[in-house]
Amino acid sequence: MLNEKRVILMTKMASYEANDGRKNVAIGNYFRSDYIGWQVLKSIISATIAFVVVFGMYVFYNFETFMTDIYKMDLWEFARNILSYYLWTVGIYAVISYIVYTVRYNAAVKSLKVYHMNLRRLADMYKQ
Amino acid sequence: MMTTLLVAKQIMMTLYSKYEVYITPLLKFILAFITLLLINARVGYMDSIDKITVVLIVALMCSFMPMNFIVVVSAVFILLHLYAFSLECAAVVGVGFLLMFLLYLRFSPKDTLVVVLMPVCFAMKIPYVIPLAVGLVGTPASAVSVACGVIAYYMIHYVAQNASVIAAMADEETAAKFRFIIDGLLNNKEMVITIAAFAITVIMVYLIRRLSIDYAWTIAMVAGVVVNIMVLLIGDLMFDTNVALLGLIFGHIVALLLTTVLQFFVFHVDYSRTEKVQFEDDEYYYYVKAVPKVVVSRPQKKVKQINSQRSKTVQRTRSNH
Repeated sequence: MLNEKRVILMTKMASYEANDGRKNVAIGNYFRSDYIGWQVLKSIISATIAFVVVFGMYVFYNFETFMTDIYKMDLWEFARNILSYYLWTVGIYAVISYIVYTVRYNAAVKSLKVYHMNLRRLADMYKQ
Repeated sequence: MMTTLLVAKQIMMTLYSKYEVYITPLLKFILAFITLLLINARVGYMDSIDKITVVLIVALMCSFMPMNFIVVVSAVFILLHLYAFSLECAAVVGVGFLLMFLLYLRFSPKDTLVVVLMPVCFAMKIPYVIPLAVGLVGTPASAVSVACGVIAYYMIHYVAQNASVIAAMADEETAAKFRFIIDGLLNNKEMVITIAAFAITVIMVYLIRRLSIDYAWTIAMVAGVVVNIMVLLIGDLMFDTNVALLGLIFGHIVALLLTTVLQFFVFHVDYSRTEKVQFEDDEYYYYVKAVPKVVVSRPQKKVKQINSQRSKTVQRTRSNH
C-alpha cells in the first residue's frame, strides 16, 4: 500500500539530491579540513599556472631587453623579486580561496542538516 | 493594465512549468546562435567556421549541453578566428581567457554566463543592462564576472578595430606585433573606466536592493543608472575617452526599461519546474512527476448579449490547473 506522505517526502528529497543537493552532498562527504585543504591546493596550482603564463608573457614582451641586458643583470636579485611576487600572488589567492571555500562548506553543511533531518523522518515513517 | 501584466506573468509561469523541457533548450539555442553569429560578424577570419550551417549545428549542440558549454564554444570560435588572422592575437586573447578561467571562473561557474552576455549586449548596444541586472540578482563578487565580460569584449573589439594595422606588420615582427597588441589592451583607458563604472554599479545596486525599504529594487536600479553615468562621465573628464553624452543617457534609459521588464517577468518570478524523479524502497520503484501548483486567477469576463430581446450577462470564470 502506498503511503502518500512518504512518497511526497521522498520526492522532495530526490528533487533536492538531483539539484542543489548534488553539490552539497558531495561537499558533505568530506571532512571540513580535507575539503578546504584540497580546494586551496587546487587554487594554489591554478595561481601557479597563471603566474607562469603571465611571467612567460612578460619575458616575451621584454625579450629584446632581456637579451641585451642578460649579462649586466643581477640574476639573483631578479629571481628573488620574481619569487617574492609569486609568493605574494599565490598567498593572497590562497587566503581568498580559503575564505570562499570555508563559507561554501558551512553553507553546504547547514543545507544538509535539513536533508538529514528529512532522512530521519523518512526512517521513522518506515518503522511505523 | 497591471492586472493584465500580472495575468501575463502567471500565464508565462504556467507555460514554462509545462513546457520547460522545450523552452530551456530553445533559449540556449537562441543565445548560442546569436553569440556565434556576432563573433563571426566581428572577427570572422576563419572561413571554415564562418558559415551559417556550422553556426546552426554548433548552436543545436549547445541547446542540449550545460549552459557553460556556450562559453567554451564561444571562446573556441574566437580563438580559431584569431588564429587564422594572427597567431600573436590568438596567443594574447587565449592567455586572457586562460587567466579568467584559472583565477575567477572556476570559483563561480554560475556567473560564467555573464562573461558571454556582456560582449553580446555590447554588440547589441545595450551594455548597461548587464551591471543593473547582475546587481539585482547576483552578489558583489559578480562584479568580477562583469569585469571579465568587459575585458573579453574589449580584447575582441581592439583586434577587430586594429586588424588592418596588425595585418600590415610583417610576419617576422612577431615580438613587435605581440607588444602592439598587449600595449593596446593594457593602455585602453575606456576599458578601465567601463570596468570601474560597471563594478561600482553592480555593488551599489546590490547594496541598495538588499535594504529593507519600500521599492528597494526600483531605487537600486535608478541609483545604479545615476552612478554608472557619473563614473563614466568622470572617467571621460579624467582620461578624455570621448563618451557621447546623448548616447550615454539614451542607452541608460533603455537599460532601465529593459531591466524593469526583466525584473517583472524574470527576477521576481519563481519559474518552478516540473520535476521527474526516480527512487525506490524495499517494496516499489517510484517514477514520480512532480508538477508545481500554479494558480492562475484571470479576471472575470462579462459577455453581454445585445442581439436578443432580453440581454443577459453571463459571467465566466476560468481556472487553470
